[in-house]
Amino acid sequence: MKLALYFTFPYPSLERFGKYMEIISDVKFEYAELGIPTKYPYYDGPQIRKTHGVALKEFSMESLGKQVSILKSQGKKVYALAYCNLFSENPGEFMEKLSAAGIDGIILPDLLTDFYHERKEIIHSVHDHGLEAIPFFNASTPDHSIEEILSITHSWIYFGLQPSTGIKVPLRIDEMYKRIRSLCGSREIIVGFGIDGPEMISELKTAGFDGIAVGSAFIRSMDEDNISAFEKQAKMLEAETHGK
Amino acid sequence: MYKYNHFIPLSVYNINNVEIIPEYWYNIVPDLPEPLAPPRDHDPLNSSLDLLNRILPAEVLRQEFTSSRHVRIPEEVMEQYAQIGRPTPLIRAVNLEKFLGFNGKIFFKYEGATVTGSHKINAAVPQAFYAAIEGIKEVATETGAGQWGTATALAASLNNIKSKVFMVSVSFMQKPLRKKIMEIYGGEVVSSPSNLTDFGRAMLKEDPSHPGSLGIAISEAVQYTLDRGIRYLMGSVENSVITYQSIIGQEASKQLEILGEEPDVLIGCVGGGSNFSGFVFPFMKSKVEMIATAASEVPKFSKGKYKYDLVDTAGILPQLKMISLGADYVPPPIYSGGLRYHGAAPALSMLVNNGRIKTDEVGEDASREAMQVFARTQGIVPAPESAHAIATAINYCRNPANSGKTVVLNVSGHGLLDLSIFGE
Repeated sequence: MKLALYFTFPYPSLERFGKYMEIISDVKFEYAELGIPTKYPYYDGPQIRKTHGVALKEFSMESLGKQVSILKSQGKKVYALAYCNLFSENPGEFMEKLSAAGIDGIILPDLLTDFYHERKEIIHSVHDHGLEAIPFFNASTPDHSIEEILSITHSWIYFGLQPSTGIKVPLRIDEMYKRIRSLCGSREIIVGFGIDGPEMISELKTAGFDGIAVGSAFIRSMDEDNISAFEKQAKMLEAETHGK
Repeated sequence: MYKYNHFIPLSVYNINNVEIIPEYWYNIVPDLPEPLAPPRDHDPLNSSLDLLNRILPAEVLRQEFTSSRHVRIPEEVMEQYAQIGRPTPLIRAVNLEKFLGFNGKIFFKYEGATVTGSHKINAAVPQAFYAAIEGIKEVATETGAGQWGTATALAASLNNIKSKVFMVSVSFMQKPLRKKIMEIYGGEVVSSPSNLTDFGRAMLKEDPSHPGSLGIAISEAVQYTLDRGIRYLMGSVENSVITYQSIIGQEASKQLEILGEEPDVLIGCVGGGSNFSGFVFPFMKSKVEMIATAASEVPKFSKGKYKYDLVDTAGILPQLKMISLGADYVPPPIYSGGLRYHGAAPALSMLVNNGRIKTDEVGEDASREAMQVFARTQGIVPAPESAHAIATAINYCRNPANSGKTVVLNVSGHGLLDLSIFGE
């Protein structure tokens, strides 16, 4: 099972972000997702929302580029998780900057909700700049929207289990997996939002998901600057996804 | 002289034909033309979404966010549906057709035939059932016209749990019989704003004779739920409620099929949107015209904005993207309490916004006249809310362009407890 790790860049500070990245440099994971901070992270839960406000203070495309090149030198694929409200005026310019920073692809959590009518234009802009457009779906995405987006993208799929990050409403994982798998065929599905402990990871693995994405679960140890708790969390995720 | 065989094609009563009750509720979300905007927190530091775990029965919350198109109706709920009068009849309004000189056909699905006299019981029964099997001993809710409170009081009793109903002050005053019937069913009824919650007390401090609103009553019921560690039952707007109400449209679809009829237009009234959405959503894949009628005194379709807004005035529940007049909107005290809500269900709002569902707004005088016409032609006194839809249907049938069409109308309830609309 693949592992994607999410961090809002650069939370809690540029210096400490670098330190956390060093800790995970010997952790086995496939995808790094770097959240581009925005004033309006509408679909994130309170924990990630808070990280956006803090990260905005030190964010720059230059520092993002440096971090991306470190992660890529470790063999990771690096994706930006960005809200469309960051670039609604000029998607082309934003994509160009991400591409120059060495980003492999982009996940757009609000594309199909707040920017539905611009969806094709934005996806074309992503592709035009040599980036992968990662489809972001959740339980509320209608079948025909999923089919349409799949027909114009080629990458893996990010599936949001919960209505927002870091929260837990009751779910029937099996049922959700069956629906999304029947629509996505053999495309790789990485599942995120509200994933923490081994029990849940095991349930997602058994259901058939190809990988998990985890973000909120790191925030408490980052807030407390508890390096050993951060490392322990990362190692637990590695063990649960890649074997002990 | 009537021949029985001639009578049958006019109506599908089938009171005892429980096979007309569908085995699944229908959730429209996977079939919507565009993705439904998710609920959103409005407090940057807290998650109102997470708070739902302490407000709703777990199974109801799961169904609120389900990706499944079909949700199986538990056997126990099916049994209760049969007990409370489902399936409800689909009747051809022959006398109304004659009265209007309409050369098409008018059918109405009569939700007033349930034991509580409206569609509301369709959503109350499953929520009370899920609360009870999760070990909850008491539920709270709000009510505007009194129909949702009545349904909750009965559904709670059927499932052996207690109920507390916050009734909008103006309705509490206008409709003493509604209060009485809720109490007979076992509910405890309080006028909202009340002294039972911080929010209610704050409203009463501002205005001791505050008329109340559904938004305020929802806030009080939710706050009371959180204070007491009980669970809250939702009467409209939220997606799971619309899913439970899909039983109306699914039955109507089957009944029309039995009659060999294809509708040209479906008409219903909209408060929060549950009876209308439950009625029309199962028909969404066809090309049938759909008209949603609101009260012109609460002009959500002509003056409302499609935006994220609060469901409850206090802002405890997550924001929803919907057509809304604003959560702080205080509606005029029209008699149709069920149409006083400031917003409309998100899926319905989206379909109105993109033009799939047409809208109409009808005033209290026109709806009162429609009540009389329907009573004098069909013998049924409709609820004043439902009479808004009847007024739209009457206008529709009077338009020569609609000659020969098949009109299907949802009469969401009876008005036998609303007769004071005609004066003392």
